[in-house]
Amino acid sequence: MTTFNPKGTQELDRADIASVLAGDVAAFEGIVRRWQGPLINMAWRYCRDRGRAEEMAQEAFLRAWRGLAHWRRESSFSTWLFALAANVYRSELKRFPTETQPLDDAPEPSRPASQHGALAAKSSAETVRRAVLALPPRYREPVVLFYFHEMDVAAAARAMGLPEGTLKARLSRARALLRQRFPRLEAEHAAMELTALNPGKEAAR
Amino acid sequence: MKKSKTIRPERERAGIDSSARIETRIDHILATEDALVPSSGFLASVMERVQQEAAAPPPIPFPWKRAIPGILLTAGVFGWGTFELIRTSGPAPGPFVLNWLALAPPHLSPAVVASVQSAGWVALALGASLVSWLFSRRLAGRGGLL
Repeated sequence: MTTFNPKGTQELDRADIASVLAGDVAAFEGIVRRWQGPLINMAWRYCRDRGRAEEMAQEAFLRAWRGLAHWRRESSFSTWLFALAANVYRSELKRFPTETQPLDDAPEPSRPASQHGALAAKSSAETVRRAVLALPPRYREPVVLFYFHEMDVAAAARAMGLPEGTLKARLSRARALLRQRFPRLEAEHAAMELTALNPGKEAAR
Repeated sequence: MKKSKTIRPERERAGIDSSARIETRIDHILATEDALVPSSGFLASVMERVQQEAAAPPPIPFPWKRAIPGILLTAGVFGWGTFELIRTSGPAPGPFVLNWLALAPPHLSPAVVASVQSAGWVALALGASLVSWLFSRRLAGRGGLL
C-alpha cells in the first residue's frame, strides 16, 4: 500500500478544493481520481464485498463533496476524508450489516504441513481476514483502520475520532480474541519462517 | 522444588513466545492485503452523481419571516386559552379578573351588560378567524380578500 499523504498530493488536493469551492465542479474529479483507490480499499476491509465497497466509497465521495466547505485546513485533507469515510462506512454497515460467520464458527486453518504451502497460507489468511468482520463492532473497526493505515495507531485513532490509548486497548483486546481463535497460526508462522530460511527445500517439496 | 521454579518461567516464556508468534502472523496477514483496483466506471459514476447534485436547485429554505407572526399568534392564542381555562376552572375569581359589571355605565342593567359581553366575545372570535384566514392567504402568496 502506498503512503496516503505525500506532499505533492496535499498541494494538489488544496488546489482542487479551492477550485471546487470557487464553483468548478469538474475539479472534484482530481480528488476522486487520487483517493478512489484508498477509499475503495478501506471500504473493502469493512465489508469484504467488492460491489458494496464501491457503493460505500461513492457515498463517501458524495458526502465529501457536500461537506468540502467544512474541511478545516489545520488537518490534512486525507485525515478529514478518512474520518468522514469511516463514519459513512460505519453507518452504512449499521443500516445493512454484512453477513458474517460468528467468530467461534470460523474454521481453524489446518496444519500447513498437511496442505500445499502457499495455497494453504492464502486460504488461512482469508479466513483470518473474514474473522475480523466477526469481531464485536467496538473491536472490529480499530483492527480494520489500524491495518489499513499501515499499523499507524495515531492515524487510525484520528480516523475513528478516539484517543490513541483507547484505540490501543481495543486493538489489544481484538488481537487477543483472534489469537485465541487461531492458535494454529503459530505453526503456520514457524513453517513460513522455515520456508524463508530454506527456500530451495520448500520448492522441492 | 528447584526444578519447578526453573520450569515455570520457561513455560511462561514459551506461552509468551507462542502468543507473539501468532500475533506476528496475524499482523502479517492483515497488513499485507492485495489492493483492489477501482472498476473502470467508478470515477465516471461518482462524477455523474456529483454533477447531478451540483445541477439540482438548492433546497427551499423554510420561510421564517412569514411564519414567525403566525407562530407568535398561535402561541398567544394558546397562552390566552390556557389562562382562561385556569381562570374559569379555579375555585373563585381572583382580584385580578376584570369585573365587567363595575366597568359598565351605571344606567345599564346587568342583563344588558351580559349580552353585550357575549356579543363582544363573538366579535373577537370572528375577528381572530378573519385574521387567521388572511394570514394563511398571505403565507400561500396571495393578497387581498379574494
